[in-house]
Amino acid sequence: MFFKRVVALLGLVLAACARSSTGDSVLVVLDSSLDKEAYSVFWDGLVDKGYSLTFRSHKDARPAVVEDEVAQFNHVVVFAPDSKNLPQDLTPQSLVALLDKGTNLLLALSSKKQTTINTLASEFSLVLPPPGTPLISHFPARDTPATVVPVPPPHAHPVLTAGLPPVWFSGVPFAYTPNPLLLPLLNAPAEAFAADTTSDAGADAVVEAADRAGEGLWAGSSLALAAGFQATTGARATFVGGVEMFSNEFAQKELPQGKLSGNKQFAQDVASWSFQESNALRIDKVKHHRVNETEPRETYTINDNVVFTMHVSKFNSNKDTWEPYSGIQDMQLEFTMLDPHIRTALSPVPGQPGEYSVTFRVPDRHGVFKFIVDHKRKGWTHLQSTTVVPVVPPQHDEYPRFLSAAWPYYIGAMSTSVGFVLFSALWLAGDDREGKKKGIKTE
Amino acid sequence: MATKAYTLPTDIPTETVTNIRSLLRIVSLALISAAAISSRLFAVVNFESIIHEFDPWFNYRATRLLAAKGFYAFWNWFDPTAWYPLGRVVGGTIYPGLMATSGVIYNVLHALNLPVDIRNICVLLAPGFSALTAWSTYMFTKELKDESAGLLAAAFIGIVPGYISRSVAGSYDNEAIAIFLLMFTFFCWIKALKLGSAFFGTLAALFYFYMVAAWGGYAFITNMIPLHALTLILMGRFSSRLYVAYSSWYAIGTLASMQVPFVGFQPVRTSEHMAALGVFGLLQIIAFSELVRSHVSSKQFQTLLYASVIGMGVLGFSGIVGLTYKGWIAPWTGRFYSLWDTGYAKKYIPIIASVSEHQPTAWPSFFMDLHILIFLFPAGVVMCFSKLRDEHIFVILYSVVASYFAGVMVRLMLTLTPVVCVSAAVALSSLLDTYIDPTEPVLEEGESAESEATPQDPTKKVKKTTPPSNSGSFGEYLARFTGNTDKPRGIFGVSNRLIVLFNTFGMLVFFVIHCTWVTSNAYSSPSVVLASTGADGNAHIIDDFREAYYWLRQNTPEDTVVMSWWDYGYQIAGMANRTTLVDNNTWNNTHIATVGKAMSSPEEVAYPILRKHDVDYVLIIFGGLIGYSGDDINKFLWMVRIAQGVWPDEIQEPNYFTKTGEYRVDDRASETMKNSLMYKMSYYRFNELFGGQQAVDRVRGQQMPKEGPVLDYIEEAFTSENWIVRIYQVRKEDLLGRDLKVANAFEQGRKRKKTKPPVRRRALA
Repeated sequence: MFFKRVVALLGLVLAACARSSTGDSVLVVLDSSLDKEAYSVFWDGLVDKGYSLTFRSHKDARPAVVEDEVAQFNHVVVFAPDSKNLPQDLTPQSLVALLDKGTNLLLALSSKKQTTINTLASEFSLVLPPPGTPLISHFPARDTPATVVPVPPPHAHPVLTAGLPPVWFSGVPFAYTPNPLLLPLLNAPAEAFAADTTSDAGADAVVEAADRAGEGLWAGSSLALAAGFQATTGARATFVGGVEMFSNEFAQKELPQGKLSGNKQFAQDVASWSFQESNALRIDKVKHHRVNETEPRETYTINDNVVFTMHVSKFNSNKDTWEPYSGIQDMQLEFTMLDPHIRTALSPVPGQPGEYSVTFRVPDRHGVFKFIVDHKRKGWTHLQSTTVVPVVPPQHDEYPRFLSAAWPYYIGAMSTSVGFVLFSALWLAGDDREGKKKGIKTE
Repeated sequence: MATKAYTLPTDIPTETVTNIRSLLRIVSLALISAAAISSRLFAVVNFESIIHEFDPWFNYRATRLLAAKGFYAFWNWFDPTAWYPLGRVVGGTIYPGLMATSGVIYNVLHALNLPVDIRNICVLLAPGFSALTAWSTYMFTKELKDESAGLLAAAFIGIVPGYISRSVAGSYDNEAIAIFLLMFTFFCWIKALKLGSAFFGTLAALFYFYMVAAWGGYAFITNMIPLHALTLILMGRFSSRLYVAYSSWYAIGTLASMQVPFVGFQPVRTSEHMAALGVFGLLQIIAFSELVRSHVSSKQFQTLLYASVIGMGVLGFSGIVGLTYKGWIAPWTGRFYSLWDTGYAKKYIPIIASVSEHQPTAWPSFFMDLHILIFLFPAGVVMCFSKLRDEHIFVILYSVVASYFAGVMVRLMLTLTPVVCVSAAVALSSLLDTYIDPTEPVLEEGESAESEATPQDPTKKVKKTTPPSNSGSFGEYLARFTGNTDKPRGIFGVSNRLIVLFNTFGMLVFFVIHCTWVTSNAYSSPSVVLASTGADGNAHIIDDFREAYYWLRQNTPEDTVVMSWWDYGYQIAGMANRTTLVDNNTWNNTHIATVGKAMSSPEEVAYPILRKHDVDYVLIIFGGLIGYSGDDINKFLWMVRIAQGVWPDEIQEPNYFTKTGEYRVDDRASETMKNSLMYKMSYYRFNELFGGQQAVDRVRGQQMPKEGPVLDYIEEAFTSENWIVRIYQVRKEDLLGRDLKVANAFEQGRKRKKTKPPVRRRALA
């Protein structure tokens, strides 16, 4: 069902004029060696969706990416595989700073040189092979060089259009190190590997090199060709192994089987994810209150029954609006003080689009608790919400007044009182002569 | 007829003498009160009207809430900003007496249209109550000896440093009102015992209740009165007076004390209170047996009765022991054990031992706090032996017990001070009585001079030191003591008298000078504001604490969590109004140990702890620049010890010493020490201050390493003028999910080591 929904949504994305949830200005930094027109299919696709593109050569300093500490563009595309160094505002540090400001990045790695973008990749938990070792595959048989490889995209993927035909790839593969913020977009075919020679004569050298470096051979389906990364700020960065993936040539190139390649669609999918157009969620509203009440309390009492409600929206790029979204089935709510005291499913409310709600009993423990929703799924915006609320013991007048267990004490108190009254009455009504004894007694 | 050393006017009517005496008494008491109050105002004069130290800040904060929101809100107060995230049920974990007192005063003044600021009430409460303490000491001593001794005692307690140390203006602590309540409860108890009066017993119980509501030291009363009663029983002094006084005090006092939420069922559930219950039971048994004995004559029956009384006593005692074993009665607490074994706390509960006022008392501080009174004190106790009425036994017991406790813990000097004042006043007034008395001894053989030397002389009442009929002169004490009563003793001539009196007067003058000096120099510092004297003699105010706390208040969001060592918790809450992890209410050892662990661990270990507790800022005290010795590096070993108590595998105290067992911060400091968060925060950028020269820590007197520490997980946010307070901000997790150390290296452009791909890639071969 989920899958179908994604398909439907992505279909809509393609159909209509759309733009990103964070804004539509894009800066494209192009290597001067690259012909802008050679990528016109990709640019046109972006412009059709409603983005406004600004082009800039990798040597220019203007238009600046950041002015007065304010990011000037919502998205930055850096296609500069041939330039080792980039201007001051595009150093690895500035690019990370851009992510911190919420700007999305689409970066192409270089297969030939050790560019700054390549060094930046290691900060994103990506490991690159030695420079000059592009991806090579001799399968399937085709008329292209071994470095131009048709890659079948993953079957079910939260970001890519379903049923996408294989895409042409030419460039450098890279390896992931474990990082939950990474989103694999495209992995290499199982029979592909990275090496600096395509000739059979060099095979021994490849084996030897793999042995020596202790890294083994860079090969197999766990090599990445395109990977997304979602920073904790929500900004997204995508690394692509080769800029040619986006070229008109690859987009129009036929596959060995004779079909048209999926490059065009793949490029648009990757861009729409990178630019926070697809799979963008947000929390609109968080509410909590006691059962049978509507307003939140400053504090809750232990053992109160509390309703927690959250409204989630998903960005609809076709209409350029946020729409209520009930598609998350596995959201959880934690009620935490140091450790989660309660962890419960936060399920969508039927009939209330975008609303997720759960009712639970506050633990029998006072302290400063937090309602925590921490929903992190690969490819989707992380939903994080923390609401602090103190849980207090009952007030002095909130305890039950009469306890059946306390009857012995009630009877004790009453009998003593009655006894005292009786005794006083007898004492006072007693004989006068007894008074003398009293005087002696206290002496 | 005895001869007189000097003549007194004889033509003044008795009535006039009585009137003048009472007038003089009232005037004296008024002057004593004035002296007591004004000598406590040094702090306000030298500094300003400010709350002092640590605990008073909490009391002040609680009082403000009480004044603003009323008593019920105060009672139900759950403070989510303390002990984050555990929170603190304040209403149920404090003695509300102090705040309630200030609240009542505040409301009364406002009802009278006197808009006094709550802060001024809090600041001046302690001096005000010291006047009441002087009065209640007067009443107490009057019961022991006479009015003149009472006035002396009042004057002593009014200005003695041992009491002033806890009651200067601004020292808004429980002790401020507790000593008055202590003395007044004891006075009521003695009065009740003397008269066999249920009224005074009830009064004692009511003041006992007030005391319970005001100070944890009420346990002292809870055990002193039963001890007194038990001693009287063992001395064969059981009487119906004792029975009435004790029963009325215990029954009403216990029921009343259980109304204080913090105390609750403790009076029937904890060992500290069992003595009072046991004596109560014993009294009932004895009273019953007395009753039976007065009705039954048979000798055998009486023997049987005694046997059964003892049997019941044993049964009751074993019952209490059994209940303790079963867990129905809580055993003694650690704090209590540390009173008997001074090494106990250091071994088992470092958190108690780490408090400076829980340390054993140094001998000089007895002189510092009590001056001549400490010499007069034993004389007064000896004089109590010579009379040995019930109330004298009380004073003797009180002296013995309080002397012991004062020797064990510095802060219990406070409970010793009243009895020292009382005893010293008894001794001194006996001395004065003897030497002012104009009667010369009679040199007639075979006649006991003393029996006639001290009859009441109505003519010498111009002096306020008239010995009443039941009190003897100094000579009589000596005579009784030596057992030799047939020799005439006394003082001849005026000059002998004058020499002694002049000396006594001189001692008292020195006492007053000493008290004034100690008060103004030692006990009037608010410790929030420090003063130092420059080379030119000008006072220089060091106001770093408030500077830093106000920085926090002005520059951080309201829900900011600040971590610091627990000493500063109350001040941060009171002055900066920010959430703290631990504070001076040290109820949760684990939580304090967590903070200790974070402080004494390397950054990367501390960071997850800080994040888990939502810490935004870390505040430390550093005295190395100006030589403020009470800083966190000097307290650091306590943090280590407390953390070690909970995590013995991770934190070990010996690692923080050099190989030769020294505690150093310079080049030779151990690696663990240098890597600890506390060390790094203290000396971060300390080198830069010396501009390339050798940096010197002025507290430790050690030269710092050339390379200062580097911080990756936290960053400096604020450092006060004299570097006493340093505040660090905890950095958020890296946005790329990297370790912050790596992220920092990247920010600084340092080259990264080439990461190898994951290990599951195997070499072909």
